[in-house]
Order: sequence, then C-alpha cells, then structure tokens
Amino acid sequence: MSQWVTKGLATGVKATHYPRAAETAPGTSPGMPAATSLPAARAQLVAARCPTAALRQVPSGVEVDRRRCVHCFRCVRETESPVDWDAGCQWAELLAGSERRGRSLGRAFSRSLHILVVDAGDCGACLSEVRQLNNPYYNMHRLGFFLTPTPRHADVLLVVGALTEHMRLPLRKAYEAMPAPKRVVAVGSCALSAAIFSPSFICAGGVGKLLPVDVEVPGNPPPPLAILHGLLLVAGRKPPSGTDAVRAGANQDRLR
Amino acid sequence: MTAMGRLLVLILVLCGAGAALSLFAGRRRRPAIVGWLGSAAALALLWFSGSGLFAGAPFHATLWSIPSLATVTLSLDRLSALFLFVSGLVLLPGSIFAAGSLGRYVGRYSLRAFSVPYFALFATLVLIPLSADAASFLMLWELMSVLTYLLVSYEDETDGQRRSAYLMLAVGEAGTVLIALGFIVLANSGPLEFVAMKAAGATLGAQGRWAVFLLAFLGFGVKAGLVPVNFWLPRAYTAAPAAFVPVLAGATLNLGLYGIVRVAGELLPASMVGPGLVALGVGSLTALLGILYATTQSDLKMLLAHSSIENAGIITAGFGAGLVFVASGHGSLGSIALAAALYQMVNHSVYKALLFFTVGAVDSSVRTRNIDRLGGLIKVMPFTALFFLVGALSIAALPPFAGFVSEWLTLQTLLLSAELGSTGVKIVFALCGAALALTAGLAVTCFVKAFAMGFLGMARSEEARHARPARIWAIVPMAGLALLCLALGLTPTYVIPVLGRAAAPITRVGAAQALVPPFFAANPHHGELPAAFVAEFHALGAEVGERLMPGRGLVVLHRGGKANPVVFAMSTAYMAAVLALMLLVAYVVFRLVIARRRAVERRAVWAGAIPRLLPEMTYTGTGFSNPVRVVFEALFRPTIVEDTRETVGLHFRAAIRRIRGENHLLDRFVLDPIADSALWVSNGFGRLHHGVLNAYVLYGLVALIVALLVGRFS
Repeated sequence: MSQWVTKGLATGVKATHYPRAAETAPGTSPGMPAATSLPAARAQLVAARCPTAALRQVPSGVEVDRRRCVHCFRCVRETESPVDWDAGCQWAELLAGSERRGRSLGRAFSRSLHILVVDAGDCGACLSEVRQLNNPYYNMHRLGFFLTPTPRHADVLLVVGALTEHMRLPLRKAYEAMPAPKRVVAVGSCALSAAIFSPSFICAGGVGKLLPVDVEVPGNPPPPLAILHGLLLVAGRKPPSGTDAVRAGANQDRLR
Repeated sequence: MTAMGRLLVLILVLCGAGAALSLFAGRRRRPAIVGWLGSAAALALLWFSGSGLFAGAPFHATLWSIPSLATVTLSLDRLSALFLFVSGLVLLPGSIFAAGSLGRYVGRYSLRAFSVPYFALFATLVLIPLSADAASFLMLWELMSVLTYLLVSYEDETDGQRRSAYLMLAVGEAGTVLIALGFIVLANSGPLEFVAMKAAGATLGAQGRWAVFLLAFLGFGVKAGLVPVNFWLPRAYTAAPAAFVPVLAGATLNLGLYGIVRVAGELLPASMVGPGLVALGVGSLTALLGILYATTQSDLKMLLAHSSIENAGIITAGFGAGLVFVASGHGSLGSIALAAALYQMVNHSVYKALLFFTVGAVDSSVRTRNIDRLGGLIKVMPFTALFFLVGALSIAALPPFAGFVSEWLTLQTLLLSAELGSTGVKIVFALCGAALALTAGLAVTCFVKAFAMGFLGMARSEEARHARPARIWAIVPMAGLALLCLALGLTPTYVIPVLGRAAAPITRVGAAQALVPPFFAANPHHGELPAAFVAEFHALGAEVGERLMPGRGLVVLHRGGKANPVVFAMSTAYMAAVLALMLLVAYVVFRLVIARRRAVERRAVWAGAIPRLLPEMTYTGTGFSNPVRVVFEALFRPTIVEDTRETVGLHFRAAIRRIRGENHLLDRFVLDPIADSALWVSNGFGRLHHGVLNAYVLYGLVALIVALLVGRFS
C-alpha cells in the first residue's frame, strides 16, 4: 500500500494538460483537410476525388465541409494537387442557439457535466474514441465530465453513429427523458451527416434530422481531444471559435 | 344486579337478539343486522371492559354449581378487561365491515350460516376471559373452536377451504385436550375455580409446575399460533371469509395468549426461570419463522397470516422475558417486559385487523389477492392504499405508528438481561434478541414488498387497472383503526400505565413507575425525580405540551442506578412533532423558495427506451423477496423441477419450465409425520375390515375366548 502511494506520487501526472496547455503528444489527431486556394482545374480534380463530397469547388479553390469528411486522405495522397492539411483537433463547433435556448450550458454545469452516450448505429470507431476519454491519459473526470447510464441524470446527450431507423424512437425517448436544460452533442461524421450511408433505406442522414444538435464534433472518428473540445464548448468552458491552436507539427510526416 | 352486570346482560342480549333476528329477518336485511347489532354489542363491550380496565370497576358473579365439577363463576379483573377491550376494538369495526362485505354472498350462500355463528362467537369471546373456573372455561373454549370452524368453513367453494377449516378444528381439539390435562394436573383433584387452582399451584412441586406449564403453553399455543402447532393458522386464515379474518386475528388469537398469560403467569407462581426461557425461545423462533414465510408469500392474506404468527411470537417472547425477570426477582424489569408484550398484543390486534380490512377490500374489488397480479392500486383505491400504508408502517414498527413502541420496548427488555445473574440465561436472551432483531428487519422488507408491489407501480392485470374504490362500509372501519394506530403510537405514556396495572397480578409491580416518570405531574419539583435529572430533560424539551396533556408526560424513560441514570429514553410524540415540522419546513422551502419560478415537466417513466413498457416487465413481489428466498434456501427446502425441451441436440433449447414447490418447515417436521402415522395406523385397521362375514364371526369368537380366559385367570 505504501509502495503504491509512493510509486504513484513519483510517477506524477501523466494525463494530458489539455485544455490548460496545448497538446504536444504525437499521434493525437489524424488531421482534416483545410480550405485551399487552387487553380480551377486542379480544384475540380481534387474535389472529384472526395467520396463523401466534403470538398467543394469554389472560385478561389476548394472549401471543406468538415461534417462530411471521413479522413480518407484521397485529397492529399497520390494526387498532383494536395489540399492544405489542418493537423489540429479542435474541430468542434457550437451551433448558434435560438433566443430561448442559450448555446452553452452555463456556469452551473462547468464543473459537473453528466453525459449520456447513445449509440445510434455506430460502427464502433466513435464509441472507441469516447471510451478513450475515461482512460488515464485523457481522463475526463479531471474536467468534471461524468458518464451516466440514465437520461434522468444527464445534462448532455452524446450521440454517435448514423441514426438508423430503429434507433430513432429510442433516441427520441432518451432525449425526452432528460431534464431541462439539456444539450445534444453529435460526435462523428456519421452522426452529423451520415457521411457515406446517406441517404439510404436504413438511415435518413444525421442526428440533426431528429434532435436539435448544439455541438457538432466532426471526424471519422474524431480523436478524443476533439470530443473533449466539444464537451468543453457545451459546458461553456471554451470560447466558441477555437482560437488557441494545437501544436501538432509531429503529425506532418504521416501525410505523404 | 350491579351496573356492570346489567352491561354484561345487555351485551349477551344484543348477541342473542342478533342471532334470533338474523334467523327470521328477510335475506336482504341480514347484513344490516350484523352491522347494527354487532357494533352496538361491541360498544357495550367497550363500555363494560373499559370501566373494568381504566376505572377498575369490579365484576364478580357466581352463577350456579355443576355438581362434582365446579361453581360457574364469572369474574373481571384488569387482565381480562384488557383482552375484552381489545376484542371490542376489533369487533366494533369488524361488525361494520362484515355487514358490508356480506353483500357479495347474497344469493350464493345462506347469510344465516354466517350471522348466527358470528353472534354466538361474539358472546363466547366475551365470556371466555370472564370465566373464572376451569369447567366453564373449557366448555366455552370448545364452543369457540366449533364456532370458529363454522365461520372459517363458511366459504366452501374449494376443497382446500373445507380441509383448512377441518385441520384447524382438529388441531384446536388436540389443544383443548392438552389444556384440560393441564387444568387437571394443576387442580390436583381440588376444586376447579381459578382462585382455588391458584392456591393449589403455589403448593405444586417443580415437576408439576413444568407439566402444567408445558401442557398449557402447548395447548393455548395452538390458538396463539406458536411453533410447533401453528401449521393450521395460515391455511385457516386464508380460507376464512374476509368478514371474519379480522376477528380471527384480532380476537381469537389473543385468547390463546390470554390463556398462556393466565395459566403460566398467574395461576402458576412465577418462581422458575425455565418456563420463561422456553416461552422466550419458542416465541423468538415463532417470530423468525413467521416473518421468513411471510416475506416470501405472494398471497396478501397468506402473508398477513404468517405475519400474525410473527407477532404472536414477539408477544410470547416478551412474556417469556417478563417471566424470567419476575422469577429471578426483578419485578420492575418484568413489568416492563410484560407491558411490552401486552402493548404488542394490543397493537397487533389493531393493525392486523386494519390490514385484513384493506386486503378484504382489495379482494372484493379486484377479485385477487396475488401481489403479482395487483399493482398500481393507489391510483384506483387511494383510501385503501393510504390505510394499508398506515397498517404496514405500524406492523413494520416504524415511528410514530403503533408497533414501534412495543417492539422497541421488547428489544430493550432483552438487552436488560445484563441485570440477570446466570450466564446461560444471558446467552439465551442474546440469541433471542438477535432473532427478534432479524425479525424486525425482515418485517420491514416484507411490508415494503406488500405495499410497493401491491399498491404502487403499474397495474399487472386488467382487474387491478379497473378496480373500484372501496365502499364506505370498508372506509369507515379502516379509518377508525388507522387513527387508533396513530394514537397508540403517539401516546405510549398513557397506554403503559394501563397495561402495567393489567399485568400487576403477575409482576406485583406496576410498569408505570419503571417506565413513565412523571414529567408533567407534580410540577415544578417533579416529586420523586432529582432536580438535576429533570433540568437535563427540560433542556431537551421533555415538558413541551404540559399545558395540553394531563398526566405523566410524553417521555418513556427507564431509569437505572447511579452509574447509569438513564437506561433508555424516547418519546414518539416529540419525534412525530419534529418529523412533521421538518417535513413542513422542507415542503415550504422547496415549494415557496426553490421551486417558485420553476415549471414542473412530467414525462413518461424511463424504461431504457423500449417501445412500450408492459406491466410484465416491472419488478414483481416474487422478485423482490427472492434474496430472502435464496439466503434461507436451506430452511425453505424448495422442490425444484426443471423441465427442458430440446429441439436438436442439447444445445438448442425450445422451452424451459421451472416449477418450484415449497412445503412449510412445520409441515415437513410435524404435520406430515403425524398425518403419515395416522394413515399407517388406520390402514392397519382397514385391513381387518375386509367385509368377509366369516372372518367377522371369527373376530367375535376370538374376543369371546379372550374375555373368558381373562375372566378365568384374573
């Protein structure tokens, strides 16, 4: 027991310092294409390579719809005109709220946020990333985020997966069972736009079709830090536009 | 004739009139006769026994002599007055309830068959505690057995009901035989009046006393529902009509206890520790077995029947502890124990009658008593649910309702065994105390199950969903008894002196002196209490309410010696006041301060987002009590039959059917062996009765030869 304590103390804090300090560890994010200015012919070529229509040709070059990107790297690898690459991971976006409904949850929830995770048709990738939040490195308890198995105790509904037909009723029930104020965080490109599955006989495309989504966390799957960023946004502990960039220069070598 | 005599005659006349009128009145009027005359007779009984109990009005009547047997004597002392008063408390609401619930039998059964034995039993219940000689006592006892048999077997739709009633009669007769033997040993060929028997008991040797005690304890234990002779009780209670069970549990069970107290406590001098220990041990065992089987029942009536056994056990344990204390010279501790036992008896009669009324109302409305088919009744029968809750809280011994004080006092008394000298006795007390504590815990489980699964949640059947609310004839008796439950729980300081005086012939010391110090009386100096002691309790608020209540105050307190001035103290009245105040403050704070500007949103029950929550998916009573079933599996010894049907090979199961049967512990060890040996003997005789005429002539010849030989050689 005493050894356990001393060993623990000697090891020190191994968890990430995010969001207090920028994340420096390598391999924490796969990155995401960024808007690039390209000649029209090249922009058309590279936009055509995108399987989910996340890249769109505009007069100045290409724009990225992050909600649809699945990190296939087809726009940067084996192409003559690679797009710019955003190697950070603070991709979450707080959607504009209406008059009645504020955007983030406010101060009362900033140190204690209870999260209900619902798998609405996930392949397992996003869930696996959500699970990482509980491990010693990301350790979301240090930020006051807790998972709860019942919507009655939940403040945030975290939805992963393309919303399948069979999960529509359970998801709506879970949302209705939550006490107000409540927010919805959609995690992963499937939850946001049902990227490669939609529209099809099994899913109508994204959680937004059913519930009012407050925070969108793009990525396929989004890295744990992106999910943390989304939760910090919904708890009102991050400014809405991610200004403090994550230094992730070590990622650059993976791209080509 | 004295005023008391006139009252008694009035009661008997009312009973007689009831029986006669219901013989001749029209069929529709008969329930009303039971209601009006029954409650009038009960009121007269309350008046009669109340003046004996509270004012000590004497009543003694020597009626006539039976040659060579005894003089039939009726006599009322405070002990019999207490039992009569409790009978009155049950019979008054019981008659009203019976009148209402008899309505459902019109056209199906003869109402005469109920009301005539009902009034006859009423008169018998009045006379048994009054009779002061063994001969009339035994005759009345026998009459009571037969009349209860008639009433229990009133509903004879199923074979089981008839058999249950018959088993009750048979075991009751065996008990009567034991009681008669006990009286014979005690009287020792002297006169059969109780006064004379008491004198004879004082001269009896140790073996004689043991014999009388064991015979009486076992004999009266049949009616009181003690181990090992209570196997008839759950069956008979379940078979009895709803109109009669409250009387069975609230009055006839008490008479068994009355017999034990009268014979073992008063007629025999309390000079030996042994009988008290036997009563304590048997009582604790009865209580534990009773509550174990009650917890696992899913038939509400059966559950209450087993819980009656539990309560009878607690009462007997308290009585046994009292006997031990008295026998070892601690009269004041003995008076505490006996007051606790009698208190428990009064409480049990009141709340058990209340609970049986509610179950009767549920049964007549839903047509089932199976907890797994009920549920959600609080929405359709709100009053019944409320009164069941009051009864359940009382029986689970939660303050401020009845039941708490008596169980608390019983457990406290067992802790007082530290005062006793012998280590062996202390060990018995400790073990019994542990058993009773376990019983109290299981009682809470049992009644949480009964209330939560029966009255809360979702309705588990169509009948329960569309149940009609209870009628006024059920509401009024239940409301009266519920109020009585609250009153008995709040004012122990006014009940204990009365009980103490009733038990005084046994303990020779009143419980009031030991338990209820005069905090209100003799202010400001409080007479016998030291000033510093009073000041300490004054700071705690022991004198709040002094202006409102007369008498001794609201604190139950047992004073010890110098080293330990307060052995235990508590006040349910102040506790209830504080509880109410806290609830009120919490409500006000929540409603007016916290939730003033908040809207309350009601949504459907969260059930894991399944498409539809069906009643079959919710927790059942069987599931709730399953942990108890599993923990005590060695005791229940269930027979489990598993029937698995496979389709292809062993790995594909099409259906699994699991049947679990339970045979009561006493059935296995007492009833079945008796029944088997009786069958064996009668089979042996049956072989002789084969119908061959020649052989019968041979039997006659052999008998003649034997007779001649005996005559020749003797």
